[in-house]
Amino acid sequence: MILSGVKVIEFAGLAPGPFAGMVLADYGADVIVIERTQSAMPRPPSLARGKRSIMLNLKDKEGIKVANRLCQNADVLIEPFRPGVMEKFGLGPDELLKNNPKLIYARMTGFGQSGSYSKMAGHDINYLGMTGLLSKLGREGGKPTAPLNLMADFAGGGLMCAMGVILALLERTKSGRGQVIDASMVDGASYIGSWIYQTKDAPYLWPIGDELGKNLLDTGSPFYDTYQTKDNKFMAVGAIEPQFYQQLINGLGLTDEDVPGQVDLDKWPETKKIFADVFRSKTQSEWCKVFDGVDACVTPVLTLEGAAQHSHNQTRKTFLTNEDGDAEPRPAPLLLRTPGVNYVKPNPVTGQHTEVVLKEVGYSQSEIDELIKNEVVKSETVKSML
Amino acid sequence: MALTGIRVVEIAGLAPAPMAGMILSDFGANVIRIDRTKQTETVDRLARGKRSIAVDLKSKEGANVVKRLSSNSDVLIEPYRPGVMERLGLGPDILMKDNPALVYARLSGFGQSGPYKGVAGHDINYLATSGVLSTLGKYKENPIAPINLVADFAGGGTLCSLGVLMALFNRTKTGKGQIVDVSMTEGAAYVASWLWRSQNLQLCWPTKIRGRNLLDTGAPFYNTYETQDGKYMAVGAIEPQFYALLLKGLGLTEENMPGPQIDIRKWPEMQKLFSDVFAKKTQAEWIELFGDSDACVSPILTLEGAATDVHNEARGSFMRNENGSYEPRPAPLLSETPGITEVKSDPNIGEHTEEVLQEFGYSKDEIDHLIKNDVVEKL
Repeated sequence: MILSGVKVIEFAGLAPGPFAGMVLADYGADVIVIERTQSAMPRPPSLARGKRSIMLNLKDKEGIKVANRLCQNADVLIEPFRPGVMEKFGLGPDELLKNNPKLIYARMTGFGQSGSYSKMAGHDINYLGMTGLLSKLGREGGKPTAPLNLMADFAGGGLMCAMGVILALLERTKSGRGQVIDASMVDGASYIGSWIYQTKDAPYLWPIGDELGKNLLDTGSPFYDTYQTKDNKFMAVGAIEPQFYQQLINGLGLTDEDVPGQVDLDKWPETKKIFADVFRSKTQSEWCKVFDGVDACVTPVLTLEGAAQHSHNQTRKTFLTNEDGDAEPRPAPLLLRTPGVNYVKPNPVTGQHTEVVLKEVGYSQSEIDELIKNEVVKSETVKSML
Repeated sequence: MALTGIRVVEIAGLAPAPMAGMILSDFGANVIRIDRTKQTETVDRLARGKRSIAVDLKSKEGANVVKRLSSNSDVLIEPYRPGVMERLGLGPDILMKDNPALVYARLSGFGQSGPYKGVAGHDINYLATSGVLSTLGKYKENPIAPINLVADFAGGGTLCSLGVLMALFNRTKTGKGQIVDVSMTEGAAYVASWLWRSQNLQLCWPTKIRGRNLLDTGAPFYNTYETQDGKYMAVGAIEPQFYALLLKGLGLTEENMPGPQIDIRKWPEMQKLFSDVFAKKTQAEWIELFGDSDACVSPILTLEGAATDVHNEARGSFMRNENGSYEPRPAPLLSETPGITEVKSDPNIGEHTEEVLQEFGYSKDEIDHLIKNDVVEKL
């Protein structure tokens, strides 16, 4: 696989760091998660598929020594802490890169390693607020609405961090050297949204730019929004181009006389209401029959389960089934020659791989036993959990 | 730079493919955008640092120009519906036979296969088909796509770049290129993997009703609030210790509250209480009051405000372009080989036609011939 042989040490964190680690694991890297023995919050196991887990006491000098040894043999390190924390542990980039100059040291934070907010606590919604993008998201008359934690935690966070790691790995094949990646979710989310900044003054996209939900792509226009169906499901309409808009009108059983013109902005609320009434007259599957295969850009809004069942996604094997029988997305994109995993590897139990990982970096069984005895590391086998 | 020496042929498209091209360009690749002839305006707003050559793709000679470019390039990115490149005689079979080291990236909404392949759509449709759109939006309101960020840009352009980079990395070991099939539908789903994987976390998804959960505007302590001056604050105080600081900053105590933090039945009431308090001060006053406390309360900036905010300025998060407006600096920051730190200009259509052809070994006569026969156009 693409990242076979690449060793990643991931210091356990909440969501962004783990997602970056998961992407790397999905494409073949050996990702070892360092969980802390004295962790106040139990690690949510949601993004750990295919990783291995070791538990260390990072407050103990001996534990730091173990971490050091793991990092000396690693290609990539991902850490999610506030700036300065790794330095306090004696595991800062200066320290680790000195002993392992090919190490790619990725620092995954909300606000970045510098700047006035860098030591402050925050979450996706705060980081997205700092980009300016959140101010453009929401319906008319309402408040800015963050799209869950997709844009800062995942897109601008974990995904951007993974991309930085691959860039650095690629660069390292030329230079032989690693480097530090300062992955800030504010920076990452902004960068992903570059087009919004670039087009903010385009009158066709943002005719009423100061106001939420009154523009072309932000639910202002009647032909770029979702509509409720008779059975309380939804259809998504994205009929921007005139030829698609025409197909939309036809499919709704309307004629040009029934609705105001597509670009008649003042009448958009009126057109919306007309569309809404028509959509409510049929069920989602009836609308699917009307629009399937038609270039109207009208498609069903599928639920998480529904998406996994949908024939298109099934043909594409967009979803994998995990050991609980539930669906989860398959790694994207598809590299045809060297794809990512095509099945769901299990989540590790916290501390499941402590011993095997220590052995891999040269610890003897008696050294390991000593470390366990002194609570420098903790080992959990699957057996002991039963 | 990280991608110095990498040559990318980007077939001009709307927004997702340009995003992929821009990322590669920002990190040092030489990106040549193939524009259509007979048009003066480009829709590409992510064009900084690219070069443009205008080619009549419908003609055989034009297709040959693209073949020649791609035979000496590392990456090709195409944004068309499945089958179009094949019809132009530029499918991966042909181009990769000629250049087996080529990374051939195909960026589409629904992917290169499946019943929806080739159906027209936009971000909102791909997001809908991924399942993700059903989770976004407020209680009792219709699902709302966050403009076109998640499918076009996160699951589309950015994931395309990631795929290209991974293929280039693999190529350093194997010498071989490959096809990268980027489906925005799948990309959006993958970026949102956590939604599927966390469904059994009670704390995050107490109700499974859109808009009534922890992170989807259900919780009062993970939400946005209007200030006295019509601006907004973002509140993300999930952890109990941060929540305590939030209450303190708002001048509230646990006793004032209708219920404990995680009593979801009291969430609507708590939201109203917070709304009332936030409405009493301006955004600037709230910023000052919360300072850099760990309450996870921060301002919601406008696009312009973000560029000039003191934190973002210190980080150089935004670059100024020649029009005086701001655009985000490439992320993430690589310490040794960062991306660009200043904005290179957008090319005009056909601005580099001659230069690019010369670079790829065309003689002056050959170039004149192509121009004369409208196979290519120059500015």
